[in-house]
Amino acid sequence: MLDKLTGIFTLSESEKKKFKKIEEALLERYPVGEDPWGLNVNKARNSLKKIYPIYKHYFKVRVFGKENVQDRPYMVTSNHTGQIAIDGMLLSTAFVMDIFPPRILRPMVERFFTALPFIAPWAAEGGSVLGDRTNALNLLKKGQSVMVFPEGVKGIAKSTPDYYKMKPFTRGFYRMCAATKTEILPIAIVGAEEFFPYVYHPRIIQKALGLPALPLSLNYFPLPSPVDIHIGEPIKIPEGLDQDSPDKDIDEQVFKIEKVIKDLIDEGIKMRRPFFANQKGPKK
Amino acid sequence: MISLKDVKSILIIGAGGGLAKLTASLIAQKFPEISIHGVDPRDTDFLVRKENIKYQRMKYTRGNFERLFREKSFDMVLHLGRLSHAQSDQASLSKRLDLNLMGTSKILELCLKQQVKKVLIMSTYHVYGALHDNPVFIPEDYPLKASIKYPELRDVVEMDQIATNWMWKNQNQIETIVLRPCSIIGPQIKNTMSQYLTTPYVPVPIDFNPMFQFIHEFDMAKVIIKCLDRVPTGIFNVAPDEVISLRDAKDHLGVPYLPAPIFILEQAAKIVKMAWSFPDYFINYIKYSCIIDNSELKKHIGEEFCRFGPKETLELLKLD
Repeated sequence: MLDKLTGIFTLSESEKKKFKKIEEALLERYPVGEDPWGLNVNKARNSLKKIYPIYKHYFKVRVFGKENVQDRPYMVTSNHTGQIAIDGMLLSTAFVMDIFPPRILRPMVERFFTALPFIAPWAAEGGSVLGDRTNALNLLKKGQSVMVFPEGVKGIAKSTPDYYKMKPFTRGFYRMCAATKTEILPIAIVGAEEFFPYVYHPRIIQKALGLPALPLSLNYFPLPSPVDIHIGEPIKIPEGLDQDSPDKDIDEQVFKIEKVIKDLIDEGIKMRRPFFANQKGPKK
Repeated sequence: MISLKDVKSILIIGAGGGLAKLTASLIAQKFPEISIHGVDPRDTDFLVRKENIKYQRMKYTRGNFERLFREKSFDMVLHLGRLSHAQSDQASLSKRLDLNLMGTSKILELCLKQQVKKVLIMSTYHVYGALHDNPVFIPEDYPLKASIKYPELRDVVEMDQIATNWMWKNQNQIETIVLRPCSIIGPQIKNTMSQYLTTPYVPVPIDFNPMFQFIHEFDMAKVIIKCLDRVPTGIFNVAPDEVISLRDAKDHLGVPYLPAPIFILEQAAKIVKMAWSFPDYFINYIKYSCIIDNSELKKHIGEEFCRFGPKETLELLKLD
């Protein structure tokens, strides 16, 4: 039992070798020091050293569709699940550890997040930035890949009956892609909903307290639900669309992306591994 | 557009400050034919005199400025005399309101009346405020939010707004430049940031680590000269490309500090204020980043306008 527990936090010899190779590639690709948003490759590497064993042995992450990722900047666009942003952390880890060449995604975080002591600077050192148009545009122009969850807090903070149902995407991310002609990389994360399988959000109380979410859950420590990350084919911005295009034209494209991700989720559910708390797909 | 070659005389307001002294020396060295007249309410006896630099100790009153502009004519005016908001008591607030707001308005009015050709006004990046939802690379047209949380910064924001409104209103008659520099540090600058960086055992937040842009006083003085020489009317952020986090800056300086959570710092600041003038707003600037965009200025003075990066700037501060 103890061996099993310590095994979660340690890497095997082959994993250690892989990690070392990735570290070298990261240091070659990113300048040492800090960037204006606070990314510090050395500190990010140290965090990754702690996260990777959990990614590998606790959440047992599998990545599908790696062949769709080229060495160029993308707007990495995913569904958002799991009550807290563990899915974002796993997706970031996947793009460093399981996709070559490794790249540090720049997750766009909610405004309240950047005011959180300890967590905000730690996340910034790992690459996260405030979800603001100026930030996204500047990062894309600098050739970095930005990670967005266009469902926002509404997507992540769902009650159990709504699991794997996507909330409508906002348009902002698409306008930023249109402005910079950045391709969208659709992602579906399957398995993160079951980190907290039985959750209820009392919306009235949450609104009265002015909180972004108020999850009442049977567990407050994430369960080891196996996670699959499905990467779809990149979606180009059609000719003639720019950041000032009418909402109607933007919505049309956003719906298409939603549909692509929805299809990836549905396919992913069919392929997922059994877990006792699965709300969709096989149970152990 | 007027350039320094066409200028015969320059007035520097706030000439006793470190940056003003440096700027005056550089202008005097490069353009010996320009006569520089510096005014400051502080003692000017200790200032190094040169043939073409004259200093005058002068209280900033309406009458004194009117007399100065009546008796002398200036082609350019450098307003570097913003009263620092390093002290936050009520008496200094009224003094600041008087000088920063009323004084600036009067100076600008006189410049127009006396047909000054170019005015440069030194504002600060503090006008944007240090807020958790600040984007990185704040452009010049971003809202000035500094006074939302700290009313003590209201005079700083209002002075900036007076200057910019006046600038656009009179753009056909007089060239005006408003500069919003990042933290200027250097051996001659004695601002809150320089003191905070170099003082040992000051508390540094462990739960936040904002990014900073530091410009060396020498680079800043050179930017001012370039602006006088070849930059047209407008508002410009001044900052180098490189950034450094607060803790890295402290580590780089090798000055010991006390790591503490920000809520303890906020309480400690109230006690520290009794002995040492410590502005309330400063807590937020060591909590959240306020990184400004320098691309507008680069269009006019080129990409490489800073000789020193943040680490070199800190090295030079260490030598002091």
